[in-house]
Amino acid sequence: MGKNKLLPVAVVLLLLLCTAARQQLLRRFQLQGFAQGTTYSIVYYATDSLVTLAQTDSLLQQLDRSVSLYHPLSLINRFNRSTKGIIIDAPFRAIIQRALEIHRATGGLADPTVKPLVDAWGFGVVKNTQLPDSATIQKLLHQVGADKITLKGNFLYKLQPGVQLDLNGIAQGYAVDLLALLLQRYHIHRYLVELGGELRIKGRKAGNTPFTIGIEGIAGNDLAPEPMRKIIEAANGAITTSGNYRKQYTAGGRQVSHLINPLTGYPLQNEMISVTVYARDAITADGYDNGFMAMGLQQTLAFLHNREDMGAYIVYRRPDGSVADTVTRFFKGYKR
Amino acid sequence: MERRHFLRNSGLLAGGLLLGNSLFARSSAAGPVKIGVIGCGDRGTGMIHSLNQMPDLFRITAVCDVLDFRLLAAQKLDKTNSWKTYTDYRKLLDQADIEAAVIATPLHMHYPIATAAIDSGRHLYLEKTMTYNIEQALDLVKRMQQRPKQVLQVGHQYRYSPLYYKVKEMIEAGDLGTITQIDCRWDRNTTWRRPTPNPSLERTINWRMYREYSGGLVAELLSHQIDFVNWVFDTHPQDFYATGGIDIHKDGRETYDNVQVMMRYPDKGLTANFGATCGNARDGYLFKIKGTKGMISLLTDQGVLYPEKSLQKEKGTVDGVTGATRITWNKDGGLPILPEPTKDGTSYALKDFYNKIQTHELPDSNVFTGARTAISVHLANQALYSKIACSWSDTYVLT
Repeated sequence: MGKNKLLPVAVVLLLLLCTAARQQLLRRFQLQGFAQGTTYSIVYYATDSLVTLAQTDSLLQQLDRSVSLYHPLSLINRFNRSTKGIIIDAPFRAIIQRALEIHRATGGLADPTVKPLVDAWGFGVVKNTQLPDSATIQKLLHQVGADKITLKGNFLYKLQPGVQLDLNGIAQGYAVDLLALLLQRYHIHRYLVELGGELRIKGRKAGNTPFTIGIEGIAGNDLAPEPMRKIIEAANGAITTSGNYRKQYTAGGRQVSHLINPLTGYPLQNEMISVTVYARDAITADGYDNGFMAMGLQQTLAFLHNREDMGAYIVYRRPDGSVADTVTRFFKGYKR
Repeated sequence: MERRHFLRNSGLLAGGLLLGNSLFARSSAAGPVKIGVIGCGDRGTGMIHSLNQMPDLFRITAVCDVLDFRLLAAQKLDKTNSWKTYTDYRKLLDQADIEAAVIATPLHMHYPIATAAIDSGRHLYLEKTMTYNIEQALDLVKRMQQRPKQVLQVGHQYRYSPLYYKVKEMIEAGDLGTITQIDCRWDRNTTWRRPTPNPSLERTINWRMYREYSGGLVAELLSHQIDFVNWVFDTHPQDFYATGGIDIHKDGRETYDNVQVMMRYPDKGLTANFGATCGNARDGYLFKIKGTKGMISLLTDQGVLYPEKSLQKEKGTVDGVTGATRITWNKDGGLPILPEPTKDGTSYALKDFYNKIQTHELPDSNVFTGARTAISVHLANQALYSKIACSWSDTYVLT
């Protein structure tokens, strides 16, 4: 009888002890590396250094061999050089499938086939020095559009030899998801993964405090960075940002954005300065953020109005030139 | 890319402005500046290539060299078949249509040719180092003071690149904090000799080896960095300490192939170290400017800022930052100062030379800064070869 009474108490005590011990044993680990022409950083809390830089580096290098335009022998470069297409690998397939879904959802404004235009405007791997004329743009538009590629099994077909892919707008998000997956395989459930300003967050820090995320200022001056525009407490999910404040140049007195509207062929010229997207995974957030930049403020707000799985924080320029920001209902974790 | 577009467009813009100014300056209706190149060695032919690429700004009408084979080689760069050739610079200066001259001769000839060109009323692009000694530098300053409409630009071309202007701006804005140390090197692992078709031309071709003609590694290489430090801090070194020797190539040369110079700028609380060797190439061109807030590491066409780690930690109040992707060049925490490498500094320098000829304004690398650097170089060499520390004298009047 007495035994029976004591047992639940003992169990509860034991569990409490375990939890406390676990909390105490959690340590912070940080990995910092270099991939895809930018830096990445992983912070995780675990009892031991379960995941190492060698693992994350090799994972990212493998992804580069599939979808990096900077890797001359990558699958994506082989696809771009081919006349009919090539057999692609699993990561490539995962990215292109998601890219095509997002292409449909954004009415063609997020387009994986925009590369010929990006190159023409001087933002490609090989730098073009001459601004394209309207005849060139019209010609290139015939090679752009998701209807010009089809995926059948493992074979990615191009319907015109001139069709070229640029997955830079979405591959970073996918890379972040892969890193998150790697951590989860090691049963790490408190982490923050960042690659090129794209984030994936899970759980809380030791001591149960949330991860805090800064949304970068829009001056685009890395040498004397301005203070964060916003600091938010992040919940589980992914946060990515697309902005035209860092990669741009001035031509004819106007700023030329590196973001090209795939429907018109011209660099974006709208009120959007940056959009920070929250979604469940980074491939989604990253896949949509460029599309939102192209949609412009009103269309993006309308698009996200009833969404329960995606939200955005948008910085834009008012007609009078002043900078303003707004946030959609489901931008999770956002705190004024 | 971005930069190139920007420059091209600002170039067009500048062209427009020049038209406006032409009423009270050189008429741009006169077309490109007609220019003669005196000295057609490595640097001279380099200048010819650069000038040839700017047909709207310059038209070469004459070239001069004391060596026939150099003159022949230079003539091959003449696509218009119109250049006159001379072996005597005085004859070139007699050619009436010439408006400006490039002087790219051995150092000891800079002064006699420059004075002749100045006296003949020509604008002058005078290669660095401006003069062989201090007296000549002071004399050119005096001459140019009497000729405010004539342009004399000294060929410290590296600091004409947008990168070096940007670095100057950052230093002036205090981005590096208090700067106390500068490290400069310009190393190579070669003899620094040119081949000679026959032994009698040894001293003419390999003039850099002989003290009668040359200021050696300090004048030919380190002068660029010496000049940049003077320019950015608008000062000159006060104290000069130096050592060196002929340690690698004992081939009869007189100028040291291994030099180390220390300069002290007491008004700025600054020490700068300048070294060059012909016995190791690993560092090549090295230029590090060190302040309490960060360090800038420069190549001729690229620069990286390394903020001090202690300051980075202070900023680290968030766990992660989201933003548009930042392109990084290296894995060690450095931030590129410009997104892309710049072009060769000569093209920027020549563009500005053209502009200054139109407007009669003082170039950024002018006779005053040129003299300040020439004197610094000369005092460094004096310390190097005399083994006695020496100091800047207040009698050097550069205003």
